[in-house]
Amino acid sequence: MSHFLLMVVYALLVAIFFAALWRRDRKGQIKLFLQIFLGLVLGGLALAWLMYPFPSGPPVSP
Amino acid sequence: MTEGEGSEVAEKREVEARPVLAGILAWVVPGLGHLYLGRRGRAALFFAVVGCAIVLGCILHGNLYHPIAGQPLTTVATLGAMGMGLPYFLLRYGAHYGGVITSIGYEYGTAFLLTAGLMNLLLVLDAWDIARGVKD
Repeated sequence: MSHFLLMVVYALLVAIFFAALWRRDRKGQIKLFLQIFLGLVLGGLALAWLMYPFPSGPPVSP
Repeated sequence: MTEGEGSEVAEKREVEARPVLAGILAWVVPGLGHLYLGRRGRAALFFAVVGCAIVLGCILHGNLYHPIAGQPLTTVATLGAMGMGLPYFLLRYGAHYGGVITSIGYEYGTAFLLTAGLMNLLLVLDAWDIARGVKD
């Protein structure tokens, strides 16, 4: 499984969970689901983009 | 004590016991507390979501936390993972599951397993509130 797919599945589960937990009406649930889901996925992508210039490990010796 | 007073005391005891029982059931099996309180739809949904997180965490060979001496954060993480209730003990002591640190999905699996535990802890609080009449 790709990192992105796992991130999307994680965001999906968390968004469904909190939408059902915190909202009782269907409209509010859908709105909160989209907010959390998109927030997690887009936030994750933004964070990955910001971290892209930083090296992922110790510098390789020549 | 008259018959009326007796039934009142019994009713009060039942009302007091309900949130405790709902909380315990919610902790033991994800969604069971909601099922006990008559919220069938939500119970099924919560069972499916928390169950999916646990199954995915295991498929990815994530870490099922247990306390390690000298590492206090593992105790905190263990309490979080234990939030999933019966599945934690079945996995740890029944299936002797502990995760595979060399697996490529280890970190993701750990996140799924820990999240499952934390989500179920929130379900315990939700069931408690519903039983007390604070939430519907």
